[in-house]
Amino acid sequence: MKKYIFKRCLYMVFTLFIVITITFFLMKAVPGDPLTKMAKNLPEQTKANFYAKYDLDKPVFNQYIKYMGNLVHLDLGESVVYAGRSISETISTTSLVSASVGSIALVIGMTIGIVLGIVAALKKNRWPDYIVMIIAILGITIPVFVLASLFQYVFAVKMNVLPASGWGEARHFVLPIIVLGFGPIATYSRYLKSSMLDTLDQDYILTARAKGLSERKIISKHVLKNSIIPVVTIFASSVVGIFTGAFIIERMFSIPGIGFYFIDSVNNNDYTMILGTTIFYAALFIVMQLLVDIVYVIIDPRIKSSIMK
Amino acid sequence: MKMKKVLSLLLVAAMSFSLVACGNNEDEGKKDSNATSENPTENTEETAPVELTEDADQYYNTYMASDPTSLDVSLRSDSYSSTIISNVMEGLIRLEEIDGRYVVSAGDAQTWEANEAGTVWTFHLGDNKWSDGEAVTADQYVYSLQRSANPETGCPNSFFLETLKNYSAISKGEMEISELGVKALDGKTLEITLEKPHPAFLEMCNGSIYYPQRQDIIEANGDQYGSEADKTIYNGPYVLESWTHNSKLVLKKNPNYWNAENVKMETVNISILADTATVENSYKSGDLDMLGVSSQEAKMAFHADDSSKYEYSVNSSVTFNFYNTKDVLFKNAKIRKAFSLAIDHEDINEMCFGGLRVPVWGWVAPNISVGETNFREASGEILLNQYQELIESGKTAKDLLLEGMAEEGLGDDPSTLDVTLSLAGTNDWFKTYGEYLQEVYSTELGVTLKIDFSDWGIFSSNLQSGDYQMGYMSWGAYYNDPYDVLSVFNSEYDQVGTGWVNEEFNTLIKEAGSEMDEQVRLEKFKQAEKLLFDEAVVCPLAAGTSHSFYKDYVYGYSTLSFSSNGYKDMYTKGRK
Repeated sequence: MKKYIFKRCLYMVFTLFIVITITFFLMKAVPGDPLTKMAKNLPEQTKANFYAKYDLDKPVFNQYIKYMGNLVHLDLGESVVYAGRSISETISTTSLVSASVGSIALVIGMTIGIVLGIVAALKKNRWPDYIVMIIAILGITIPVFVLASLFQYVFAVKMNVLPASGWGEARHFVLPIIVLGFGPIATYSRYLKSSMLDTLDQDYILTARAKGLSERKIISKHVLKNSIIPVVTIFASSVVGIFTGAFIIERMFSIPGIGFYFIDSVNNNDYTMILGTTIFYAALFIVMQLLVDIVYVIIDPRIKSSIMK
Repeated sequence: MKMKKVLSLLLVAAMSFSLVACGNNEDEGKKDSNATSENPTENTEETAPVELTEDADQYYNTYMASDPTSLDVSLRSDSYSSTIISNVMEGLIRLEEIDGRYVVSAGDAQTWEANEAGTVWTFHLGDNKWSDGEAVTADQYVYSLQRSANPETGCPNSFFLETLKNYSAISKGEMEISELGVKALDGKTLEITLEKPHPAFLEMCNGSIYYPQRQDIIEANGDQYGSEADKTIYNGPYVLESWTHNSKLVLKKNPNYWNAENVKMETVNISILADTATVENSYKSGDLDMLGVSSQEAKMAFHADDSSKYEYSVNSSVTFNFYNTKDVLFKNAKIRKAFSLAIDHEDINEMCFGGLRVPVWGWVAPNISVGETNFREASGEILLNQYQELIESGKTAKDLLLEGMAEEGLGDDPSTLDVTLSLAGTNDWFKTYGEYLQEVYSTELGVTLKIDFSDWGIFSSNLQSGDYQMGYMSWGAYYNDPYDVLSVFNSEYDQVGTGWVNEEFNTLIKEAGSEMDEQVRLEKFKQAEKLLFDEAVVCPLAAGTSHSFYKDYVYGYSTLSFSSNGYKDMYTKGRK
């Protein structure tokens, strides 16, 4: 087991290295630079002075070596557009903000989604099933900005009980969490329902029934544990999604999260920030995959034995 | 059967949701208000009813669309950073709006004078202090200007210091920084020496690059100076109390400001709101005291609101089409003129700018003046005049095009021409704009226009390499003088990238740029602009406008685009 994890960690580092290298050279290949966004057609000398300050006048390969050298010391550099802001500090502060909203929304959404999924599976083709499926479809199809705008209008403008946007107090969490929660509710309820239906059809459930176990015991002891496996898979992408997909919510509710930098850095050719956010997401995704695989081993004995071989 | 019932229930729910969105207009008008009548063009305080007094708690909630990049004046000066900087810092002078006119008011400097030749300016500083109690001294100005001019600083706006003696050589590293034309004669006297007399120099001092800096604070904070509220120091009407990046800035009145007794507004809360819907919802819910609108629907909706005051101003940004004068087609002036005169400015304003902007027929924006004289009024509507002349001579734009084509040996069928318009964006607006011009050129000239959509970075590098035929862009003035926007076409700079070279134009602009006599300057600028249009290098379309609404209890905001009154003259009266 330990050897397996160790091997996976090595692969992780290698994958990350490839991702950073490809991103670096692709990013430099795109026309435009941070200066073109800042001002129109500056005099040559001014441009030259600016490029020299950020080492942008050196050959791309030299810049790459310098960047990788700094990376080994965990120095991600400074933003080119937002002068003086350290990349690692910005990413750590803003990702915590995104995480605080996103994780609460994910936990609440996932819990409700799982409960609804169970209800839908057990009461298949009866009215609870239909209600849950309608909620799920609405949650997936209604665009996030429509929901956000609607909630802002109802709760902030009409009822004036919550602020339309902002950050810093507990009441600023409410609307973003409600809006962000719809996605997980929809996703998890659907996944869990189909997974449970699959499991209920399995032979060992038939055996359990034949043995005379109570329905409640069957569900809680056998069905649920097996149905959770696909949910674990999408949980990995949900966690990464907390940071990426919330960009629109963060923009609409004026939340200082990391989504902004992810998008903005590409538009502005902010090289250091592009690399910083890419490394962050890539590392997060890779680590989540590893964790998910470990969780699989814990939950599903069949996988454990195949690894051991 | 069950599904049908569920579906119809769902349909009812969806329809009632949409009705919620429609039903809000009537409510706005019914809001209880004790506002006095609006006067949309006046900017000074309304005469409020006698029973209203200034609120005990003076605070103002506003917003901006993007986070300032840095408060270090040597490093950045985008409009968001500049807005904050002009409120938390102070320069030698402050260009203010008083009774609807521009006035150069005292800032750190209380008095100033220039020598006969206009090449040496002397500023006498007053008693302003920084937020930590240290006095503002002339040395700090010297340090600041030297730091910005220093090539190692990598200042993207250092070219603003071009007027200073020896700047060019210093920026190339050919001369010592100490040779820059700025000297502290003593603690309170600053002497600035210019390369050549520049009539608008005093107004240029309003720019953030001419602000003072504290060497000790900058060195203590290193690269991080200006990136956080507690890593910056302030000498303006306000201090930045807190800055949550991408979320909020809080400004508090600075007790050490030299003019603090005249600053009414105590606290300013600035939220970073990038989304239009959020801004509108925040304004309606009372979280914001002002908002800017950029669509006819929003403008109409808020006009109907009794508790809002409307404010409108023309700013200095002009959107325009321009031509690559080195292109096989557009190197002919008649062809360029034909493409320019084929456009109906009123129509394009309605169709592409939502009727919200102001059509312009000259290059220099309508809000720019030479001394007291408004330039546009003095110079006239050039494109309109050209169009009249064309009509009176019995010709159409297409005739002009055919003449040009004949001169270049391009035949007599406009539909055979290969013309591409380059646009620096890919969203819906640009698509509409491109389609509109295709329609216009097809009808008026018989030309089949192609469109090339690209991102700004790619568009910009195409301009620099001359890899385009016709483009569209906007240009904004930095300060209130025609030199700022006309020097753009000096072939030494060629900042738009048209490749146009006209020695007479270059000479006129250079001479006007250092001509102290207002009338002579005005004439030279007029002649230069006329040359620009005789050769039809650009086709200006419309000037940018800002349409804002303020809550009825907000007073003292300025509306002239170049003024930097900031928040200090604002106050609220009758906030509920």
